[in-house]
Amino acid sequence: MLRKSIFVVIALLLLVPALNVTAQPSGLPVDVPREELFVMDQIFRHPVVDNFNGWVNVPQVQPHRHAMIFETLWYLDQETGDIMPGASGEPPVYNDEYTQMTVTLVDSLKWSDGEDFNADDLVYTVETMKANSGLNASGWNSQLNQFLDTVEKVDDYTVTFNLLSPNPRFHKLFQARWNGIYMMPEHAFSQIDDLVAYTYEDGPVLGLYSPEDMDPNGYWTLFKRREDPGNSAVCQYLMREECGPPYILTILYGDSTKKAIAMSRGELDAFFNVDFEAFNSVLETTPTAQSWFPDFPWAYPNETSSRFIRFNFDTQPWTNNKDVRWALALALDIVTLQTEYIGGVAKVVYMAIPYTPKLSELYYNDERMQTWVENLEIDVAGEPYKPYDATVADRIAEWADEQGYAMPGPDAAASYGSGWWKFDPDTAATLLEHNGYTRDDNGDWWTPEGERFGFTLQATPDEPDSFRTANAAADMWSDFGIDVELQGLERSVWSANFNIGQFEVDSPWTSLVLPDGDGWPNLRGRHSRYYVPAGEHYNSLGGGVPERLQDPVLDELIDAMESVHPEDPQNVTLMQEFLQHWVENMYYISTVSFKKFVTWNELYWTGFPSSENPAYMPLYWFQGGRFSLAGLEPVGG
Amino acid sequence: MTLLQQFILPRLLQWFIVLIVGITLIFLIPRMSPVNPVQDALGRILQNQALAPEDVVQMRDQLTANYGLDGSLFDQYIRFWTNLLDGDLGPSYGAYPTRVNDMIGRALPYTVALLTFTTALGWIIGIIVGTLAAYYPGRVTNFVSGVLVVIYPVPYFIIAFIFLMALTYYIPYFPLIGVFRGEPGFNSEFITSYLHSTFLPAVTLLVSGLSFRFIMARALGTAELSSDHVQYATMAGLPDRRLMYSYVARNTMLPQITDLGLSMGTIFSGALITEAVFSYPGLGTLLLQGIYQADYNVVMGITILSIIAIATASLIVDLCYPLLDPRVRYR
Repeated sequence: MLRKSIFVVIALLLLVPALNVTAQPSGLPVDVPREELFVMDQIFRHPVVDNFNGWVNVPQVQPHRHAMIFETLWYLDQETGDIMPGASGEPPVYNDEYTQMTVTLVDSLKWSDGEDFNADDLVYTVETMKANSGLNASGWNSQLNQFLDTVEKVDDYTVTFNLLSPNPRFHKLFQARWNGIYMMPEHAFSQIDDLVAYTYEDGPVLGLYSPEDMDPNGYWTLFKRREDPGNSAVCQYLMREECGPPYILTILYGDSTKKAIAMSRGELDAFFNVDFEAFNSVLETTPTAQSWFPDFPWAYPNETSSRFIRFNFDTQPWTNNKDVRWALALALDIVTLQTEYIGGVAKVVYMAIPYTPKLSELYYNDERMQTWVENLEIDVAGEPYKPYDATVADRIAEWADEQGYAMPGPDAAASYGSGWWKFDPDTAATLLEHNGYTRDDNGDWWTPEGERFGFTLQATPDEPDSFRTANAAADMWSDFGIDVELQGLERSVWSANFNIGQFEVDSPWTSLVLPDGDGWPNLRGRHSRYYVPAGEHYNSLGGGVPERLQDPVLDELIDAMESVHPEDPQNVTLMQEFLQHWVENMYYISTVSFKKFVTWNELYWTGFPSSENPAYMPLYWFQGGRFSLAGLEPVGG
Repeated sequence: MTLLQQFILPRLLQWFIVLIVGITLIFLIPRMSPVNPVQDALGRILQNQALAPEDVVQMRDQLTANYGLDGSLFDQYIRFWTNLLDGDLGPSYGAYPTRVNDMIGRALPYTVALLTFTTALGWIIGIIVGTLAAYYPGRVTNFVSGVLVVIYPVPYFIIAFIFLMALTYYIPYFPLIGVFRGEPGFNSEFITSYLHSTFLPAVTLLVSGLSFRFIMARALGTAELSSDHVQYATMAGLPDRRLMYSYVARNTMLPQITDLGLSMGTIFSGALITEAVFSYPGLGTLLLQGIYQADYNVVMGITILSIIAIATASLIVDLCYPLLDPRVRYR
């Protein structure tokens, strides 16, 4: 009897929740009809759930939220490199000395509570942020204090900024790639005593959406489109009274497998990225899903970053030897790396500049750069040697053709990227031998000091393309006779190591320029004046030289760029000179552009940007992602 | 007086020393690691934007002050103990300015509910079935033994993954993440969704825990069956039920209770991998997030809770021994 009773109790305990399944409408946490709800992958769990104040200096960033709630003056589209309008529809106007900037605002925007957006809001935003050190999100308070003297309202829709010193890039504080200074509603915020403590859960928004509901545990947030979408900047840009889904749910499912399952269940309309294997599962299990390209190479290729091999110039003497760096580059077979290790799905680059439409035009296909790279000569044991191989993209195209893949772009270069360095182990050997390195009968290399030539190569496995790049390099250099120890490190350890210069060679990612081609904002911290030796954090002086590089030629070019307007052709010319010097010295061995399997399911929504509809970037988690969301339409109208 | 002096006080002193040493180590270990929470936070902020170097320095100084990481190690240690004795675990670095107390307070009920239920149920079922298997060896019990012995060495995250694939993908009955509806509390909407969302993590933990208890109970029971006093009682013709409950099961309970006490203590560190696999919002996922974000205060807060819980559970079990085992009482 006792046994029976225990069995019944246990069975009931287990079965009650199972039976309850039928009561659950779906695995989604909100009861909004799917034809009104777009569900997208939240790229991480929000550590602070109920605080939407994007102006305060907190360590958590605001992906998705900034694209929906906030508005800044302009946006930088990574697909096209174009500047898109936000609260201002026109480019900023500087005086000749770059000491004054005038901004004209769009005159038809309203806050979601019906109040006009005008110059008072912009002046209030700037003065409030400048005066309050607690409002230092993204360093906006400190940068306004560093660059700005006063801000003045000229008329209801015109504002003038008076700068402390000449600065042709001051407007970049209001130009979002990731984010830009968010506009504040003067009429509402001026009533709040402590803006640092304010959580902005129900304040008026200038963006298209406001927060409606959220998970106290940070796994999801529901956003509701404002009642008057036609008064938002994004709908006005699209010239529509109504745009974007009525509701957007951001939800964190977790790893690639769970995202793939969620999409197959119709509970996820778009995800940020998954690994290649999970992406293939998505294609098999969700017929209505696709990434940027409907077929090979599928992934979105134009996020502004790139993978490369980096040397630490403060650890081993050989890292400071240009010949050795070139030898390492020539011992790599980029076609094998791109095809066998990366799967052919990312574009080849020979500089740390992604091969986007805009940047390839400025830095790869520009006639001056093409002529330079094709005629580039390096000195190999006293003989000139041309290392550039223009056939790389064609050879990848041949490989793709053998796999049965059609070429996604108009030509091989547009599809698979730039040329690269010849795979020439003999010349690499000559370079090493010329520098006193010797090779034994086993093919192993020895340094001039008589030690085995080798080094550690660090990479983090949670960045698959960087890790695969490191694997390829380690394999190829080992085949060449170098003793390479590949270390796959957890990301925080990997970051800590490069932060303090505790690496010899590693495999990171970056872009030396912004999506519009401007290099100075990314390069200014690389000036030698910010150099700190390995052992100290690389940004101890605020700069950004993890490789501990000092080069007076680069310093001069950085200084020259500072005073040039980013759209001045001279700015591009200076950047090209910078890149030429960088490549001639082989400071990085660049490999491939970024790619992301940003993927959406057309089961409920259509109109997401794609290679067939490439008007905007699909990177919806950036602030400029608003354009990709605003263009969505329910399937079937 | 003798019991207090010879038994209770030494154990209380031991408990106190364990807490002081454990908590001090927990304070020191993250600070000895190369991962710096300020630089980590700065890295997240600067990941997609370019700041003037002077502003980077200013932001770093601000974050260092906000996090309470300014001053010497000794200053920080004194401040840490002062705050801890006030019941303040400090601000979270990853979710600044949220207090760690609030974050743990939000996650704790989820973990306690999940792990208390699964630990207790696994313990009860495992002991009953294991003892029965020891006492009544036969085809059915051998079959159950075979199944549980096969399950036991399988890492519980593999079991979690199997359940996840089976019941969210092939048979998509359960949600992929913890979907909790309504205000947390005793209302039908929340409880229904809670049971629905907790089913898979609970079953995973139950299956893993149950097989361990079963094997332990069967082994202890088998050993007990061959002991002299059970042999003697069998020959004396005592009824089976009395033999099993009073002679076998009762004598195997001491190590089981010790283990239950310690298992209950570990509840406060969360079921890290199970919670992560099922996106369950308990202490395990909070701890994982804290580790990824170099959030010392969150990691320290959860670990301190765990140290206190395990040390206290161990103390309670120790103090209960005389009640359970007369041999300890008479010693």
